[in-house]
Amino acid sequence: MTTHPHPLRLTTVGIQDSVRIEVQGDVDYDSADLLLEEVTAQLAARPALTDVHLSCAGLGTVDSMGLSALLMVGRRTTVAGVRLHLDDRPAYLDRLLELTGTLDYLTAPVPSGAAEPSVTEERAARPTGPDRPT
Amino acid sequence: MWWLVDDTDHQLAREALHMERERTAFLAKASSTLLASLNLGRCMDVTAQMAAESLADAALTVAPARGGRLPVVTCLRGGAPAVSTLTVDPDDVPGLGEALRGFPPVPSRWIDPATAPAWMVPEGFGPVGSIVVTPLPGHGVPAGALIMLRKAEAAAFSDEEEVFTRLFAARAGAAMSAARLYAEQTAITDVLMRELLPPVLHQISGVDFAGRYRPSADHERIGGDFYDVHPAAVEGEASLVSLGDVCGKGLEAAVLTGKIRNTLHALLPLADDHQRMLRLLNSALLSSHHTRFATMVLASAVRRGSTVDLRLTSGGHPSPLIIRADGTVEQADTHGTLIGALPNISATTVEASLAPGESCVLFTDGITEAKGGPMGNVLFGEERLKRALSGCAGMPAEGIVEHVQMLAAQWLGNRPHDDMAVVVIATPRTHHLSAVNGHTRGRYTA
Amino acid sequence: MSTSTPPRLPDAGHVKQMAEQLWSHVADADEHAATDLVLRMLDEGTDPESVLLDVIAPVQGRVGEEWAANRISVAQEHAATAINERAVAAVSVHPAARTTVTWGRVTVACVDGEWHALPARLLAEVLKLRGWQVDYLGAQVPTPHLIAHLHSTRADAVALSSSIATRLPTAHAAITACQSVGVPVLVGGAAFGPGGRYATLLGADAWAPDARTAADRLAQGRLPRPETDHQQFDDLPHLGDQEYSMVARNSASLVRTVFTTLEDAFPAMRSYSDLQRERTAEDLAYIVEFLATSLYLDDAELFTWFITWTAQILAARGVPAHSLPPALDLLARELKDFPRAGRMLRAATHTLTTAPSTAARNTA
Repeated sequence: MTTHPHPLRLTTVGIQDSVRIEVQGDVDYDSADLLLEEVTAQLAARPALTDVHLSCAGLGTVDSMGLSALLMVGRRTTVAGVRLHLDDRPAYLDRLLELTGTLDYLTAPVPSGAAEPSVTEERAARPTGPDRPT
Repeated sequence: MWWLVDDTDHQLAREALHMERERTAFLAKASSTLLASLNLGRCMDVTAQMAAESLADAALTVAPARGGRLPVVTCLRGGAPAVSTLTVDPDDVPGLGEALRGFPPVPSRWIDPATAPAWMVPEGFGPVGSIVVTPLPGHGVPAGALIMLRKAEAAAFSDEEEVFTRLFAARAGAAMSAARLYAEQTAITDVLMRELLPPVLHQISGVDFAGRYRPSADHERIGGDFYDVHPAAVEGEASLVSLGDVCGKGLEAAVLTGKIRNTLHALLPLADDHQRMLRLLNSALLSSHHTRFATMVLASAVRRGSTVDLRLTSGGHPSPLIIRADGTVEQADTHGTLIGALPNISATTVEASLAPGESCVLFTDGITEAKGGPMGNVLFGEERLKRALSGCAGMPAEGIVEHVQMLAAQWLGNRPHDDMAVVVIATPRTHHLSAVNGHTRGRYTA
Repeated sequence: MSTSTPPRLPDAGHVKQMAEQLWSHVADADEHAATDLVLRMLDEGTDPESVLLDVIAPVQGRVGEEWAANRISVAQEHAATAINERAVAAVSVHPAARTTVTWGRVTVACVDGEWHALPARLLAEVLKLRGWQVDYLGAQVPTPHLIAHLHSTRADAVALSSSIATRLPTAHAAITACQSVGVPVLVGGAAFGPGGRYATLLGADAWAPDARTAADRLAQGRLPRPETDHQQFDDLPHLGDQEYSMVARNSASLVRTVFTTLEDAFPAMRSYSDLQRERTAEDLAYIVEFLATSLYLDDAELFTWFITWTAQILAARGVPAHSLPPALDLLARELKDFPRAGRMLRAATHTLTTAPSTAARNTA
């Protein structure tokens, strides 16, 4: 949809080694980059991070570009060895993730950097990542 | 003071003012008519016709040669513009070659009517009094030349008229070169688009295929949805249908679409193993720089006796729907991972069989996620699609495709939408086996 | 539907009989029998134009009538149309239909939103038979595509087809856009009203009631190049009151409001199934769409005709039409500040309540 009834708003709260980003509004063609940039910035700014929580209760529509951004978030947190949590998922988000076979990938309990052998160049996005204490 | 002005001068001044007004009106009309079109031929028509109406007894617009052939529009006063393409050398006419080269700019040039080649003088024009060749300067590119002829009994072009002609030529030249640049741009996009547009489908080896695609925006002809039907290399083996949806939109999506279609084409020898095909496609598309992905359905279809056997595999895409002869609509039980973003994917393949008059509908989520309806804010949805399809038992493949696209379009009204693609695979209803042997294909397909 | 008999036709009775046979194949959804019949006629030397216009066109006309009378479903209508399309395709590739280009170039297209492509397709084929170079763009052509096409070709004219009156505001935009790039427009199809009255209103350069007349008109000579500085709003000064744009823009919320109020007024509606509720909402949406179109054209008669026709269609489907007057009344209340809309709604209600079963005009 090109109409924009719910512009994306991100509210980030960091507590020690965990960060919580409240995602409100549509994650779509026009706004997906904002979410990815925010997560990437948090990963770079907090070397000791262990968990990223995306709070999805206020999530609007997610189009294919929105899903693509979520997958990139998943890839970057995995590479950084950070756990990604999609909290309070609305039912339609689960349906979308199930349909596209990405639910397990995005909600896997433990991150494993080794699962992504073909995309290791991504490490550059967060140089301190691999050496972080667990 | 005005009463001291000589009456003759006064008269002359009035005439000059009148003439000036007419010329301004003529130039205004030339601008609005010429600027309205981005078509080179139409601009050439207008230029020749306006020149012949107001500046000369006949006029020719000449565009720069293409492959040694000179496009020319000729117009007699009071007549209609006539198009021709001449194999002549413009350098044989003094001034014409330089004018057509455009740069550096050259002034208008007089030609001795006696030396003018025959093609310059329109049929039935009679004795020529004077000829002038004026370059049509464009946007830094050669746009063409205007040749004007006056009859023997008419006055030759005055200096003042020549200046005025140059004003007209500047407008005509700008319009013609804009049209030319536009045509060159569209020619380039057309070549690229042709590769990316979905194909026209028809019957292959006793299986009916039909497809239709509607891009998301009115100004785009291609986008993120795609489909293809690849006939089997060997008669008796299955044809492969692919239908999918690439994330994003516009040119970027179209480029990824092209890559997917090419890769699938290269993987055709493996078409009997959908999962392997999808795995290979997945690794071909994986990139460290982005997570752009596609969701898709692969369908292999082969005619066996009076039925069509299907194998269906979904890579993160809405499952195909099968319309049975009694109007029951079944969802094919295939699920899988989207393609191009994750290192490992999985997918399941299901088999199905279509009796005569039964069909299988592949669609993208642009259909089910069409938002609108009479209340304006409701998703078209899978249930509504299933209900519509249950009325389509026994219909020809094209009819089903049209029906689904029309329902989605009506549901949308004038609201914006995503790309929408539908492909239908059907077993022909009649046992017209001549259709299988391939001899009649040319007659039944346009 | 054209019933005129061309002079070249050897045996009109035979052609009529063939049309009858084609209808039965189409009704049976027997695509091969339909194409075989058409090819046989051509092999036997029947004029291809006559096959298109005296055999296939009447069958297509009948498809629409059968739908209106609820004897076939919308899906069956599409099935029949698909078979007719195949029959037209068969004619177009037959050796008897081979021609050389002797005239100019014409672009044939349907207005955006117009799904009934067959009349345009028939015209395209007839023009080809008569020696025109034809670019057939098909159903639902967005105006920007049409204009891009005109910029890249040197069409002498555009033939624009529309069958549903509600596409007329879009058609008006398309007509004026074509004219603004210097290409004259010939329009046709039921949308343009009896005698083509809306064609004149919307500034089309020519109108034709059927494919034969359209081809004859184009053969008479070049349509004059339109004035490029024409402004669309000059044609319809009544649009200044904004009633059309307000109704068109708020159609969904008008439908929602009227639907909810109707539900309160007719407790029976609450027992409707989801499908019935959706049909009711769709009927309301059509009514609002026709009201908007009638406001655009400033033609109350069009709205009255549509309401009478809807009453008939509902009756053919066994749906009592007694909910129509209250719906119109509710709309009038919602649009109380819109004098033109109010007059149209009252006129339609008056006709409904005084002569409930007669339609003013044929649907074809």
